[in-house]
Amino acid sequence: MKRWFRQHRYAILVALRRLWLHPFSSVANLLVIALTLALPILGASFLKAAQPVVKEVSISPEITVFMKPGAAPQASQNVLNSVNSNYADVVESARIVTREEALASLKRNPNWADALSVLPDNPLPDAVLVTLGPVENLPAVTATLVKDLGSSPDVHTVQHDAAWVQRLAAILDFITIGLGMLAIGVALIVLATVFNTVRMQALSQREEIAVARLVGATESFVHRPFLYLGAFTGVLASLLAIAFAQAALQPLNTALANLAASYGTRIELVLPDSIWLLFSIVAVALLAALSARWSVTRNTRF
Amino acid sequence: MIEFQHVFKSYGRSRNILADINFRIDAGEFVFVSGPSGAGKSTLLKLIGGLEPPSRGSITVKNQRIDKMPARARPYLRRAVGVILQDAHLLFDRSAIDNVLLPLTVVGLEHGQAVSRARAALEKVGLSGKEDLNPVEMSGGEQQRLAIARAIVNRPAILIADEPTANLDRESARRILDVFRDFNRVGVTTLIASHDTSLMAEYANRTLQITAGGFNDFAGVAA
Repeated sequence: MKRWFRQHRYAILVALRRLWLHPFSSVANLLVIALTLALPILGASFLKAAQPVVKEVSISPEITVFMKPGAAPQASQNVLNSVNSNYADVVESARIVTREEALASLKRNPNWADALSVLPDNPLPDAVLVTLGPVENLPAVTATLVKDLGSSPDVHTVQHDAAWVQRLAAILDFITIGLGMLAIGVALIVLATVFNTVRMQALSQREEIAVARLVGATESFVHRPFLYLGAFTGVLASLLAIAFAQAALQPLNTALANLAASYGTRIELVLPDSIWLLFSIVAVALLAALSARWSVTRNTRF
Repeated sequence: MIEFQHVFKSYGRSRNILADINFRIDAGEFVFVSGPSGAGKSTLLKLIGGLEPPSRGSITVKNQRIDKMPARARPYLRRAVGVILQDAHLLFDRSAIDNVLLPLTVVGLEHGQAVSRARAALEKVGLSGKEDLNPVEMSGGEQQRLAIARAIVNRPAILIADEPTANLDRESARRILDVFRDFNRVGVTTLIASHDTSLMAEYANRTLQITAGGFNDFAGVAA
């Protein structure tokens, strides 16, 4: 066991010495990998910031049916009855908001109170508020209902309030898929960079490898320092990438804070959770070690 | 200790470098391998060291059949056979003692123990006090002795050397052969490839002569 530890300690020292002896190429490789890795980390930060927006706003479709000005009070009741009878299986709740209730609600808001007080009469129409329940194929059901309600002669407008949230959710889905593809691209870049680094190292260490074999080194002994070299490159590049992402988030957050304040809200981009970052570091290190193994096996056949 | 039976060696489709070689070397023998350049002396030594497999025939070294040995087992055989090549194959990015430490690192020996064994090996070849020199700072003869120290540090049962005196003056060549003879006297089976018949005459007990026409086994020096 002690012998095993000694051989691994030797491999680690050799790997670190090889990184140290070629500072410029080592730093250049680390920067390439780190900058590439920083992109998905930043992407994940954006997703993490955007997801609460989607989660906090209800995406259960809420449809508001505005009656025509001057429509008979019975008209909104007819719409309500039609909804309850024809769409009972998809509607969670439906209620009438009369023009008087709407005006009273607006007047309770001090921003609107003054403006409404100068109007000669109530400009608001009656409305029917329909909330759909959880159903399969929600977009199709919603579209049918909107179309059906809009065809009534007493209806002025049918407003589908949750559409923008659904669009945002769709955009986030799109970004998630994009990030997945970016991660695959990043993985390929890590593979290629480490493969080439190890190839160059193996060629420059040709004499040492030949001598080691001459004196009885096994292939594991020859390959081991290169595997550590790959793994160290992966770990160091991941840590650098996290530092780059953190540094980039500061100016982005300043700009975002100004933008969010103008909408009366607050959004902050933060790095993904520590567990997620740790998992990423381990994954990159394993990937780099795998690439190093592939490279050293191919490039030390002499 | 070493036995060749009907051994052939060729590279690709070229003619046989070695053809139908048969001999046996017992433990503790001191044997020269002679022949003109290109006759196959180096190839013969590489076969004994397990550095290359034979094309045909059986080779037994230390009771192990090299020709049937899987590639992953050969490194363990190499640890029992000290190899010195004509070009000393030293590593010039490290000191003399670090060169000698490499075989001990390969077997995973504890560092303190390894350093004392490396110092002892350097002392045996007359390089005491030169542990921290870079091989570049050494003469040709010293470099060759450093290669010998690296080959013997793992206490091999067999020592093989390919033209170890080829680029050395007479005096340096004698010192190198004296070192080999000293190891042989303590029981290390020694094989040296050389084409220097006058030096062989001074040291050889037995000579394996490889020629274009065949293979001869002489007691003493080949005529």
